[in-house]
Amino acid sequence: MKRMIQVATLCFVCILLMGQNASAVSQSMSSAVYDVGTLKPIDSILNVKVGEKAPDFTLNAVSGGVVSLSDYRGKQNVVISFVPAAWTPVCSDQWPGYNIAQELFKKNNAVLLGISVDNIPTLYAWTQQMGTLWFPVLSDFWPHGSVAKKFGVLRSNGTSERAIFIIDKKGIIRYIDVHNINKRPPLEEIIKELEKIR
Amino acid sequence: MQLKIQYVSVIVCIFLATGAAWAASDTDKDYREELKNLKIFVPEDAQDRAYLGIKEKSGQIPLENIKADILIIEIFSMYCPHCQKHAPVANELYQAIEGNKGLKDRIRMIGIGVGNSPYEVAIFKEKYSPPFPLFDDRNSAVVNAFGGILTPYYFALKMNKGSAFEVFYSKAGGYTDAGEFLNMIVKSSGIK
Repeated sequence: MKRMIQVATLCFVCILLMGQNASAVSQSMSSAVYDVGTLKPIDSILNVKVGEKAPDFTLNAVSGGVVSLSDYRGKQNVVISFVPAAWTPVCSDQWPGYNIAQELFKKNNAVLLGISVDNIPTLYAWTQQMGTLWFPVLSDFWPHGSVAKKFGVLRSNGTSERAIFIIDKKGIIRYIDVHNINKRPPLEEIIKELEKIR
Repeated sequence: MQLKIQYVSVIVCIFLATGAAWAASDTDKDYREELKNLKIFVPEDAQDRAYLGIKEKSGQIPLENIKADILIIEIFSMYCPHCQKHAPVANELYQAIEGNKGLKDRIRMIGIGVGNSPYEVAIFKEKYSPPFPLFDDRNSAVVNAFGGILTPYYFALKMNKGSAFEVFYSKAGGYTDAGEFLNMIVKSSGIK
């Protein structure tokens, strides 16, 4: 009897977890997106804190060339959006939303940097499906996840967290949201935090 | 042996749950029950309320409170690139309806931003200026009921004897020719 209760509980938890993962899927990407299921919400330990200087980095951009965080020092606030992996459900429906909100970033004198641990060809193919992105997409592929590791958002399986960092013009971290990997961080939170440092 | 049966039961349960999730991603599922139970927030904009013939000024209402012979619903997401690309064509559909004297008072069109907050729907509205009312999903009721729905997803509902809507068209994806789509909807509905 006890074992039957355990089995029934397990069934219930499985069904519940699948329900939690329910989200809308962009029709244009539906056939290419790989469903990873429900993952451990957070699987890393932060290496940085709000109020600290952000570690600098230089990464290859999908559009060509390299981008360094220090390029924006004294010029613009920076929003870093780490996404776990290309061609996965939540990630595929995150940056396209930011893409139509360029004015809101501009109004707050901010640039957005999208970072993933995928390599350039993969990121190129993936972001092509999103239309023309106004912000740089950077590859943290090699040394694998080194920037994610510096910030403390590299997960144990080599992907990154779904995380947002806001860094002001002086290079100081003003906001950190290591979000539940299974959910999309609300855009209004990012804009609200940017407005605080304007 | 008993243990094996129990684990097989777990696997069957997981399989059934996966099946349910898979079915929810169908490209032409009619979501009849979900639509029947769906409640939308009364629009704050008086023009939107007038367009939809809604008497209530606040709260949530069922779709039946919308006055129309045919109700076209686009389920979209502000985050969906295909919805963004499709937005101008959806606007053309509205214009095609309004430009037709025989249809403009009979067909109504709405968009529902699945999983989208009022803030996110406002961004979509600002960017694409849809002339028809858009609804948000502030309490996640739509995303919970329609979980896994492909966006954009179109429904066309026909009012039956003035009391309840019946789904007669449901399909994932948009269309490229608004006029052709409207003709197909009118023909499928059987309205005269």
